[in-house]
Amino acid sequence: MTAYSPQQTAAISLVSPMLPFRAEILSVQPEAPLVSTYWMRFLDPELRTSYQFKPGQFNMLSIPGMGEAAISISSDSNDHQRVGHTVRFVGNVTNAISRLKAGDVIGVRGPFGTSWPLEDHHGKDIFIAAGGIGLPPLRPILYQVMAQRNNFGRVVVIYGARTPDDLQFTREYKAWEEAGIELIITVDRGDEKWTGLVGVVPLMFYRLRMDPRKSVVYTCGPEIMIRFVIFEALARRITPDQIYVSMERNMRCGLGLCGHCQLGPYFVCKDGPVFTYEQLQPYFNVEDL
Amino acid sequence: MCDQTDDKTELIDALQTIPWFHELAPDHFNRLIELSCLQDLETGQELFREGDKEDCLFIVLEGRVAIEMRVPGRGKVRIYTAEPMDIVGWSSITPVVRQRTAGARAVLPSRVVCLNAQKLYNACEEDHDLGYVVFRRLANVVASRLLTTRLQLLDMFAHPAAKEG
Repeated sequence: MTAYSPQQTAAISLVSPMLPFRAEILSVQPEAPLVSTYWMRFLDPELRTSYQFKPGQFNMLSIPGMGEAAISISSDSNDHQRVGHTVRFVGNVTNAISRLKAGDVIGVRGPFGTSWPLEDHHGKDIFIAAGGIGLPPLRPILYQVMAQRNNFGRVVVIYGARTPDDLQFTREYKAWEEAGIELIITVDRGDEKWTGLVGVVPLMFYRLRMDPRKSVVYTCGPEIMIRFVIFEALARRITPDQIYVSMERNMRCGLGLCGHCQLGPYFVCKDGPVFTYEQLQPYFNVEDL
Repeated sequence: MCDQTDDKTELIDALQTIPWFHELAPDHFNRLIELSCLQDLETGQELFREGDKEDCLFIVLEGRVAIEMRVPGRGKVRIYTAEPMDIVGWSSITPVVRQRTAGARAVLPSRVVCLNAQKLYNACEEDHDLGYVVFRRLANVVASRLLTTRLQLLDMFAHPAAKEG
């Protein structure tokens, strides 16, 4: 007997919300050194078809005996056959995930958190600024934009990584550009073979002409990068309520109960991870918060 | 160095595409024409080398120019790319002219304006109104390069210590 109703669209047990649901790994796609995308599907066929998430939300992935880690969903929210999580191997749980292969089973709870408000921004110019592992939570937006390109004005992706080898989803750039998404790809340091841009994500705003009346900024990446992206957006008269940031904190329960991910008055797992800068402004430059 | 003969009309047209040149008074603009020339670069062509005498300041008009440094054991590391309207070699008109501290190479077919550094410096010294416009622009360039360097130094994308549960 399943612990959820047939109408349930999430892998969160109503009886025991900390109970993960089992999913089979279908394939593993290496993206960059120490970063791979795990494509998976729920073992329960009912949940497989009913599961829904919104771009920007995350799941808790778990391995028995190791623990759980909050991982953003990086796949297309309209793809009901599989769910993708792009994982960077930095800790005990994610290093254990790195040893999983196709056919292995993993625990999934979710989706949790708030999402990018793309539906509210039809007709707007969308400026996406991502750095490093900040691109995966933004990729579901690009799938949505490609599916309904005429609903948006300009869509610009600024994406930066440490080196050319660290760039993620490189095989998809062509499709994004063909769908009318402007790409600005940059690296912090290039080698002799790299003919693309070298520079940091916030400074790429210097290349853009933005109409503040119809522009929104979505950003995700290292917090220091986010801070300077916000500075550049504000300098271009984008208002704090039109700047959306996805924050990373140490999420544990996913339900806003344990307090591990508290940020000022917010729990990032429940009130975030996607916030407006207007919400976070008082807390953004507070040390150790 | 600006020793090639240019079609002045082409040069004037090119300089007029540079937004901050519009801040210049006509006589200042004419003065800059006299000390400028156009230079076309093929992909891979060096604009200058580390160690060269700093004799020119460049403004990229088209293409892309990489600033690179040779690091023993690592080869050439590209630390910045200049795009159209970017200034390259700004330190050539600072008072203490040394030698190029990095190399510059076109990574796409490029066109640059070359401004004779000594003549530009002298012009700015003689006419502080011109000097103000030029050095204010350079201050912007230096500030943005400094921010870029700071963020690069922070190594924003370095793998953090394990922090998951």
